[in-house]
Amino acid sequence: MNRTVLIIGTIVTAALVGVLFLGLGHDPSHIDSPLVGNPAPSFALKVAGSNETIALTKFRGKPMVVNFWATWCRPCWEEHPTLTAAAGELGDRVQFLGVVFQDDEAKILDFMRQRGAAYPTVIDERGKTAIAYGVGGVPETFFIDANGIVVAKYDGPLSPEQLQSYLAKVLTP
Amino acid sequence: MTLAALGRLLILASLLAATTGAVLGFASGAKKSLIGLQWTRRFAYAFAALMVLATLVMERALVTHDFSVSYVAHVGSRAVPLWVTIVSLWSSLEGSILFWGFVLGIFIAAATLLTRIGHEGEMPYAIATWLTCGSFFSFLIAGPANPFLTVSPVPLDGPGPNPLLQNHILMVAHPPMLYLGYVGMTIPFGFATAALFRGRLELTFLRLIRNSLLLSWIFLTLAIMLGGWWAYEVLGWGGYWAWDPVENASLLPWLTATAALHSAIILQRRGVLKGWTITLVQASFLLTVLGTFMTRSGVFNSVHSFTQSAIGPTILVFLAAVLIGTVTLLALRIDSLESDGSIDGAVSREGSFLLNNLLLAILTFTVLIGTLFPLVVEAISGKQMSVGRPYFDSMVVPAGVALLFLLGVGPALPWGRASREEIKRALLPPLIGAAMLTIAGVAFGARNPWTILTLAFGGYAIQVTVSAMWKAGWKARTTRAYVIHLGFAIAIVAIALSSTMRTQTEVTLAKGQTAKTGNYSVTFLGTELRNEPHRMSSVALIAIAKNGKAIKTLEPRMNQYEMMREPIGTPDVYSTIGGDLYISIASLEESRASLLIITTPFVSWIWFSVVLMAIGGAISLIRFRRVAPAVQPALIDKLETLSHTP
Repeated sequence: MNRTVLIIGTIVTAALVGVLFLGLGHDPSHIDSPLVGNPAPSFALKVAGSNETIALTKFRGKPMVVNFWATWCRPCWEEHPTLTAAAGELGDRVQFLGVVFQDDEAKILDFMRQRGAAYPTVIDERGKTAIAYGVGGVPETFFIDANGIVVAKYDGPLSPEQLQSYLAKVLTP
Repeated sequence: MTLAALGRLLILASLLAATTGAVLGFASGAKKSLIGLQWTRRFAYAFAALMVLATLVMERALVTHDFSVSYVAHVGSRAVPLWVTIVSLWSSLEGSILFWGFVLGIFIAAATLLTRIGHEGEMPYAIATWLTCGSFFSFLIAGPANPFLTVSPVPLDGPGPNPLLQNHILMVAHPPMLYLGYVGMTIPFGFATAALFRGRLELTFLRLIRNSLLLSWIFLTLAIMLGGWWAYEVLGWGGYWAWDPVENASLLPWLTATAALHSAIILQRRGVLKGWTITLVQASFLLTVLGTFMTRSGVFNSVHSFTQSAIGPTILVFLAAVLIGTVTLLALRIDSLESDGSIDGAVSREGSFLLNNLLLAILTFTVLIGTLFPLVVEAISGKQMSVGRPYFDSMVVPAGVALLFLLGVGPALPWGRASREEIKRALLPPLIGAAMLTIAGVAFGARNPWTILTLAFGGYAIQVTVSAMWKAGWKARTTRAYVIHLGFAIAIVAIALSSTMRTQTEVTLAKGQTAKTGNYSVTFLGTELRNEPHRMSSVALIAIAKNGKAIKTLEPRMNQYEMMREPIGTPDVYSTIGGDLYISIASLEESRASLLIITTPFVSWIWFSVVLMAIGGAISLIRFRRVAPAVQPALIDKLETLSHTP
């Protein structure tokens, strides 16, 4: 029995397996948004299918879910039923708002006609709002509390369970 | 029977064949049973046949769009071209594990067939070790990563494979090449484990280890190059290496395998470093398992990562088990691999081999630490951090340059103890090559001190290598190996020049407007929208001219795939021997384009020189097989010495 080999080997094994074990379950694509804890950037955008403009400030006093999406994004299609169901259920306590970017209005209206719409969708025509929110791709969802502070951000399509746990964060004062 | 059920059946049978063969192999090794060995071989062939059949079943399901098979429902699509459908076998997690099993099966069958004569003491252990790995992969395919589940109701169409795979033809070559390199490491691992079980390492058996290691090394070398080339052609930032955790994961076993290939030469010549060589071979395999964990656990962020999956813990358990087994075996048996030789003279060929091994070990350790450090920090402090280029460059560049220095000086030095005069006579002439390449490089515009040092060492190494090849004649064994050295020296010089002398400009052009960069002028002609069944592309048409003479129109584009959150940009490159003009899109509107224009000297030399390394490896392998296995290399050496004595 070679003790040196045994000792060095044990140390290397324990260190390597330990580090990798601790790393399990950690999501490398999750990067904290610098907006979390800060006021949500304000915007005023045109509502899809009408000439009306909605400003973020209109909803102050009510927690919000702002979802950036587009009709060309397949994961957004998957996520859509989750959001509409939650909006139907909690619409009076939480304001849902869709922000579409890099898309055209006809396609958006078509999409909403086919798949249903439970909350207003606004059009971020030049993508300025998406840039202000640091959106890297769609879908991305921001959770804003009643005081207009960003509480959390999620990249990618939300599952109903994930949406529930994030909503809990904005609903509890 | 449905294809899904047939696939599941074949995989379960392969699991049975592999586990039975593994148990039988270890038992017949311990009992020294020849009949046991024969049966172990049969189980190895059975495992291989079942894996190949299962893969063919999956390919059939893919090509016939049988969406009742879960993997086909997951990655198949009627809209994608046939070649994409065929290669989508390795486009997603479950299929890639099945493909792994397929490659492993072929390797095991080939290695079992080629070793059917001789080494009856070692072979049961070697085959048993291979089949243990086979059992693990069969288990993964049968359980946590099963691609043969039945889907109900059967969808009419599927989403198609990962767009990155569809985006470039190099994706057809890079992953399989990497699998060949990674999976191939299982074979020398099995041989080395067998040597440990037996507690002895004969030179003829060492040759098996070395040849199988060299074969995987060739594949791994090509895979790393293809990956870099793919990144360069696709990712749009004009580079080929980013120290991405998964790139590092492929480099780590390459480094240890390179070290092992060198220490094996010393072992052959002088009979020393037996335990060390075996350790390096084991480490190379373990690092491929680590690499598998990195790509498939979802722990590391990388272009290579498959989506979060449940197989991370399973692979970690396998890695831990193999580590514990290997360490225990090494600790128990390393002392019985007695060293029967010695090395004399630090300033000798042997001395340079030792230094080479030391440097490669340091490099391995440095890259490993840099790759795992973010995980350690996050585990301890909960803070996110990443280790980037500055760390890797500052650590790896000096070690790489030192390796290049050894590549020149080592082969120039004589074997054994040499007189001061002999050393001088060996080391002085190549200074001419060093001076010539340095002067040429400086005249070309190289100013970075590391680049100049690289040119000097590179020129030195190239002269040493070429003159050694000249002296030994084109048929000699060493000449063939020196082709690898030549490729490596050229690659390092090309990497130094291309990374320190590249220029990068960002321009915004209106339609019809021209920008100048170096000798090139670049004119934005307009945009074009192209619709293909599986994607939509906005193409920028860019006319390029060199010294006022029109050359061609480049077409960098943005591809939007339905499944992706972001469009994928694809740059376009105008390649020449002297350097590349590389254009990628930063943003594109109908009458305006923001472009990233990069010129990189000698970048295509990297691809060619790495191919040269692989060719060198391949011809060394052919040569090796011709040596009659009964004649020991040490004996050949003795005969050579005798014939030179007057």
